[in-house]
Amino acid sequence: MNTERLKIFLARNGIFMALIALIAVFSVLRPNFFSLANGQSILLQAAELGLIAIPLAFLIMSGTIDLSVGSVASAAAVAGGMVMSGTGSTTTGILAGIALGALAGALNGFLVSYLGLNSFVVTLGGLSVWGGFALFLSGGKTIPRAELPEAFRAIGTLKVGPVPIQIVLLILVVAAGWYVLNRTQFGKNVKAIGGNERAARLMGVNVKGTRFLLFVTSGGFAAAAGLLLSAKVQSANPNIGSGLELEALTVVLLGGVAFQGGIGRISGVVAGLLFFRVLRAGLVFMQASPFLQTILVGLTLIVAVALDSSIQKVIRSSWAKLGKDATEEAEDDNRSGPAERERAGTS
Amino acid sequence: MTPPQEPPRLEYESVTVDFGATRALSEISFSVRPGEIVGLLGHNGAGKSTLFNVTSGVIGATSGSFRVDGVNVGGDLSPRQAAELGITIIHQEPALAQNLTVLDNLFLARPAGAGADRKKKARAALEAVGADIPLDMPVDALGLGQRQLVDLARGMLAGEMKVLLLDEPTAALGKAETDALHALIRNFAERGVAVVYVSHRLPDIMEVCTRIVVLRGGELVVDDAAAGFTADRLARALVPELRDAEFIETVPGAEAFRIDTPGGPVTAREGEVVGLFGMAGGEQFALAASLAGVDGAAEYELRGTRVRVASPRQAIKRGVFYVPPDRDTEGLIASETAKDNVMLPWFGATGGRGWWISDQTGAEVYRKARRALDIRGPAGDAEVSQFSGGNRQKHLLARWLYPARPGLLVLAQPTQGVDVGAKLDIVDAARTAARDGATVLVVSSESDEIASMCDRAYCLLGGRIREVGRAGDFNAALLAGLLALAEPVPESA
Repeated sequence: MNTERLKIFLARNGIFMALIALIAVFSVLRPNFFSLANGQSILLQAAELGLIAIPLAFLIMSGTIDLSVGSVASAAAVAGGMVMSGTGSTTTGILAGIALGALAGALNGFLVSYLGLNSFVVTLGGLSVWGGFALFLSGGKTIPRAELPEAFRAIGTLKVGPVPIQIVLLILVVAAGWYVLNRTQFGKNVKAIGGNERAARLMGVNVKGTRFLLFVTSGGFAAAAGLLLSAKVQSANPNIGSGLELEALTVVLLGGVAFQGGIGRISGVVAGLLFFRVLRAGLVFMQASPFLQTILVGLTLIVAVALDSSIQKVIRSSWAKLGKDATEEAEDDNRSGPAERERAGTS
Repeated sequence: MTPPQEPPRLEYESVTVDFGATRALSEISFSVRPGEIVGLLGHNGAGKSTLFNVTSGVIGATSGSFRVDGVNVGGDLSPRQAAELGITIIHQEPALAQNLTVLDNLFLARPAGAGADRKKKARAALEAVGADIPLDMPVDALGLGQRQLVDLARGMLAGEMKVLLLDEPTAALGKAETDALHALIRNFAERGVAVVYVSHRLPDIMEVCTRIVVLRGGELVVDDAAAGFTADRLARALVPELRDAEFIETVPGAEAFRIDTPGGPVTAREGEVVGLFGMAGGEQFALAASLAGVDGAAEYELRGTRVRVASPRQAIKRGVFYVPPDRDTEGLIASETAKDNVMLPWFGATGGRGWWISDQTGAEVYRKARRALDIRGPAGDAEVSQFSGGNRQKHLLARWLYPARPGLLVLAQPTQGVDVGAKLDIVDAARTAARDGATVLVVSSESDEIASMCDRAYCLLGGRIREVGRAGDFNAALLAGLLALAEPVPESA
């Protein structure tokens, strides 16, 4: 492996090494940090964020963004909670919440895909709209534990065997995300749109429909995350999802998804998610002030953006050098047999 | 007719450039006298751009140096130093700030005087390059030819122009614009500028250059007067084992395509390769794009049935495949692998119907495409941006040739900016597709591109069309056809 290959490898997999290093550092500073119980607790904390981050990764890979997810989570939690307290039916409440999220996503998708509005601005507006909607609907008050059905609250502590339901859902979403992105035409289309929208359209890819679907998915999953959170805390708070959009964005960019679209891996997003949650858990272990943690979320986002642009630069320039080598090697080959040609440049 | 030997304006001395372990330029030494126009030729990756980059200060030489007017300037200067030395470079796509005005662009990173003086200088420079452009016009409103002239005028404002480097300046220009540019280049040469001219268009080089330098694999292989060169010999110097340019003859079948244009019908038969020839950026390109449902809808007859195509999806479903004119902005997805770039529209038609795409999915088709088009470079799992220009173009072509059989294949300047070897491979592939039953349209503003691969052609200009049949002087007939359309028509029809 030559130096350019090594650079590309490091640029792509730096987050995995950073994750290991971070765990090592906290484990040394606080010996009881490295334990099965703490690992499970970190995963449990990561679940809802992961449910939002995976669909957001798809959106960013397709060259758009959804900043409304945190507010949509809050709105869905409040709306679902109110339906539950009104009807007493957990299923109806959950369906209502998720339907609201999907509707919010559909609205974003319609404005961005079909009216061609800028996704950053539209979903920033959505952030305010749905956040306000949650407060308006609830009158600013938390729906208390007593008003939520027993069955719903049970979800918060439900386990599949020894594994909490949140972790099971996270694993399912990650697996589904990996499958869709790497193994389906839809996933290939998503990356193609983000890589070169016009080329994708000329290839017959349904650009508008694909992005619309991604927004609906993002909204639906944000709603699910909001409901899961309220089941976990046993109440529906109109601010329950606030800030999740920034956390999810941080996770996605830390995970090596290119902000300009077209590039990204699910494994990277998972590593980004774990890095972020390990960092927060570690700070709790170190008894850092919670206010300091908020500052750190913002700083991590900024670092992630900085890393994103420099990582993409490194990868591009290394590829360019490799490509030049390969081309010249192939031309040195000078009209040799096909077998030799295919070998050229792979060394 | 050689003028008395003046000292060289530009003199390269053993210029060598290494990129990592790769030697891009090896001990290049040659010189250019005032008034000489040297054609610099070579494959993609032969080192032409590298030499230009060293000369214009974009990169430094690993070893060696060059002189301007006898003064050794080393091998590693900044772009600003290069400009101050009187070295001007004109690219195929001028590096101008699109949103600024012509005037602002002329003085970007140039010493500017006071308002009135600035305008006077700017007008003089534009006049010298024969450009009649308002100074307050935004650059993005100009055509490519005009932008090049602005770039050239910008070069003149840096001071005395001594060396002029031209990098594929005519690649996207029409005949008239090309002639105007050539006249201008000669004019500069007469005034003592040393000109180095890179182009893939052999006729252009033959027409304007006094000497020819050929690079191959970073080495200088030919340095000779242009007078003794024939296009044939030149092609052989570029590609030592040039294959026969005569293409496979096909017997066309029934009419498979017909569209009514304002100027009359355009038709093509099964197995036929038909050219649509016009000016650079001309209406033939819009017509071609509309056939594929790009940027608008079109109605035409396809194998006897009337169809309306309003989107690329609909076109592809009907077997109408379109290779857009610009491979990098419209065709390929730089961040995707080479294989995926070929297979992307077709995964739904593979084994898993698009629901289980592995690394093996489409690998066989991709291997076949590489063999058929003689694609060189890294393996199929490398990003497509790693391949050279010609090989990227072949990937774009492969997408529409091998995974599915094209019915109507629309190729917009398919051999634009690729080297001679790749050009022959592409012509072969298009002719083979026709022989296998496809109807092929080749859309271009370069007559030799049409002449090298078509059975007949239509010239399109100003809403009028004229058919030109294949004959010995096809190339000339195409140009004549277009010129005839350019003349004003009497008010009768």
